[in-house]
Amino acid sequence: MKNIVMKFGGSSVANGKKICHVAKIVADNKNLDCGVVVVVSALEGVTNQLIQAAQEAKKGNSEYVSKFKQELLERHLKTVKEAIKDKQLADDAKKIVEARIGELQQVLTGIGYVGELTPKSRDTVISFGERLSAPIVSGAIKDLGLNSEHLTGGEAGIATDSNFGEAGLLMNVTKFQLKKNIEPLLKKGTVPVVTGFIAETQNKETTTLGRGGSDYTATIVGAAIEADEVWIWTDVDGLMTADPKIVPEAKTIHELSFQEATELTIFGAKAMHPRALEPARKEGIPVRIRNVFSPDNTGTLIVKEQTAKTENGVKAVTIVKNVAVITVSGAGMVGAPGTAAKVFEVLGKENINILMISQSVSEANISLVIQRNLLERAVNTLEIALLGRDFIREIVSEDDVCVVAVLGAGMKGIPGVASRIFTAVAKEGINVRMIAQGSSELNVSFIVKEADGNETVRAIHTEFKLNKK
Amino acid sequence: MVGWGVVGQSLAKIFLSRKRELAKKYGFRPRIVAIVDKKGAAINQKGLDLELMLSLKKEKGTVSASGQYGRPDMSALDVIESVEAEAVVEVSPTNIEDGEPGLSYIKTAFRTGKHVVTTNKGPLALALPALTELADHNKVYLRFSGTVGAGTPVLEFAKNCLQGDRLVSVKGILNGTTNYILSEMDEKHITFDEALTAAQKLGFAEADPTMDVDGYDAAAKLVIMANWIMDRKVTIKDVNIKGIREVSAQNIQDAAKKGCTIKLIGVIGETLKVEPTQISKHDPLAVDGALNAVTFVSESAGEQTIIGLGAGGVETASAVLRDLLDIKQNIANKMMT
Repeated sequence: MKNIVMKFGGSSVANGKKICHVAKIVADNKNLDCGVVVVVSALEGVTNQLIQAAQEAKKGNSEYVSKFKQELLERHLKTVKEAIKDKQLADDAKKIVEARIGELQQVLTGIGYVGELTPKSRDTVISFGERLSAPIVSGAIKDLGLNSEHLTGGEAGIATDSNFGEAGLLMNVTKFQLKKNIEPLLKKGTVPVVTGFIAETQNKETTTLGRGGSDYTATIVGAAIEADEVWIWTDVDGLMTADPKIVPEAKTIHELSFQEATELTIFGAKAMHPRALEPARKEGIPVRIRNVFSPDNTGTLIVKEQTAKTENGVKAVTIVKNVAVITVSGAGMVGAPGTAAKVFEVLGKENINILMISQSVSEANISLVIQRNLLERAVNTLEIALLGRDFIREIVSEDDVCVVAVLGAGMKGIPGVASRIFTAVAKEGINVRMIAQGSSELNVSFIVKEADGNETVRAIHTEFKLNKK
Repeated sequence: MVGWGVVGQSLAKIFLSRKRELAKKYGFRPRIVAIVDKKGAAINQKGLDLELMLSLKKEKGTVSASGQYGRPDMSALDVIESVEAEAVVEVSPTNIEDGEPGLSYIKTAFRTGKHVVTTNKGPLALALPALTELADHNKVYLRFSGTVGAGTPVLEFAKNCLQGDRLVSVKGILNGTTNYILSEMDEKHITFDEALTAAQKLGFAEADPTMDVDGYDAAAKLVIMANWIMDRKVTIKDVNIKGIREVSAQNIQDAAKKGCTIKLIGVIGETLKVEPTQISKHDPLAVDGALNAVTFVSESAGEQTIIGLGAGGVETASAVLRDLLDIKQNIANKMMT
């Protein structure tokens, strides 16, 4: 028997009707003799509402809190009604929802009294989003005649340190506990519905996993029970060769490696956070990104070893907008060890993340790419810290640029890929301002004027025939 | 001290008889602040009178009978949770089904910031990777030398003395009871049942000998070695286990004709297995009686075999003492840097 972990995000469980659809997907696969573990997010928008409510509670805005509580209750009760037909099952879910919202109200009241929102209490508040959705999804699955049980991440066995807000996973403890708690359920044919995103410490305090969220939970569970695949159900067909808004003929990528997927997600493909891929990558468990609205589509499969080799190595071309380039130059930098370190250190202290770096071998200048909204702060900081010293002459910036990244593990060791990229760009009369390629050869990134960005992406997409795959 | 059986009491006797030496040579002045046995606990934050505790066990069957310090109402978990101590010595009986209650004892000790020395194979065979991670997380030490080879430093030998080399495989006799039975069958030409009965009479085998003769004890030790020494994330479910019940006197005589004998050998190679295996009488593993022997095959240093007693209260207590000293030295080093 195959075991599959399926994660459904907030938009897939936005309302009762959608939850019915989710339950049906689960049932269809369960009936194909698959063991299924469901990982579920909060109803769409609820997590943000909870954060907002917690902040209002802290300010002592009890009116807001009670209105929020009422709306939250009504929304979830309506969802129960739409999602679960059987009266008894609906009643059970309703009771849990009411009890949990009562508990939430107490937590919010407590926060109001103390007037303090610690990361710990914030995690507790946020956890209610998933703690409310899981019993409804579980009820809807039971409604279709299957056995199901809902568990919080902590109850399932996901253990973390007590770094609230972005807790660090204790992977071996988690594996041991998940195996112990989930495997017997699967053996009985029960569908466990586990809350995504939330976990607990050894003292049973609720924590949240931070970046990667519910996807992370899904791959953790998959790794622990050595699932055959982890399916991330979302509202797109998978990872695309380019943004379809820019390139209408963009295609879904059928298969790519963990490394490529990581690069792709870093460069703006919203599908998954790289951190969420880690547990699956380590255990070599394939991750499939699928569209909840077209379940017949097999989506994108992320695997350790690719079976299909692409002919020219390029898998996708993406664009990162809202960036800026800063160039630090000065003859004094030549042959002076530590110059780059100083530049990075100054920016690091200001919490400014550097996206891309390029330095010529003459060492007379270093170019950096950062988020555009941080540009002024970055330039100011660099000027204050570095100008007026002998080695830096000038700091200039451009804010009308974008990064175009061409990705694919198959580029490695194939000569001429870069030449094809830049020839295609040059043919359009577009000037390349800065280039970076890691020695991993997984991607080539370069800077063009933002006005030329979309055209650059289209030119490369066409050159590598990405629309024909 | 959780568990006041032969190992715990042996350790207490060492503490009593070698008090000055331990203090002088190792700077180690242990105080046992709580003892838990099956019927309750005795607690004294200043340190219990160990002679009294030993005699209470003998005369009244439990340390909780101590008037001033006895706490018949307290469970082991209560004690671990509430008593202030540096370390917990967990010497409760092994359970390889789910590791309990030892597993909960160890987890609670970690959670409350206490180091753990255990001789309990159950929790380790089932969850060693999880427990070492949890110890790191709580910044405490977990030591368990006594689980393999009793007083014979099997784990330390491989872990510390073979540092830098790469272990290819490990094989060995990890259970004294079965080795005694097989040796007797070979020497005296008797059947398995006769040898088992004799071993039970001499106290070498339990009334219910399942753990030993069916190979579970050896398998648990094999799992601990695989995890700790070879970094293999395995549990007892990954071991192919075959005990010695079906070894006949005839099998052994046939082997003897070829200059061989049959031993219950555990092997960590590609896979993990415990099964009766024919080996040459000249093989360093061919040890007699209740001895244990483990051969390490390493890439550069070649084969080494370590031989020693694999069971016994005093022997195991000596391993616990070693672990406690190691923890003490580690803490001391940390404090001084």
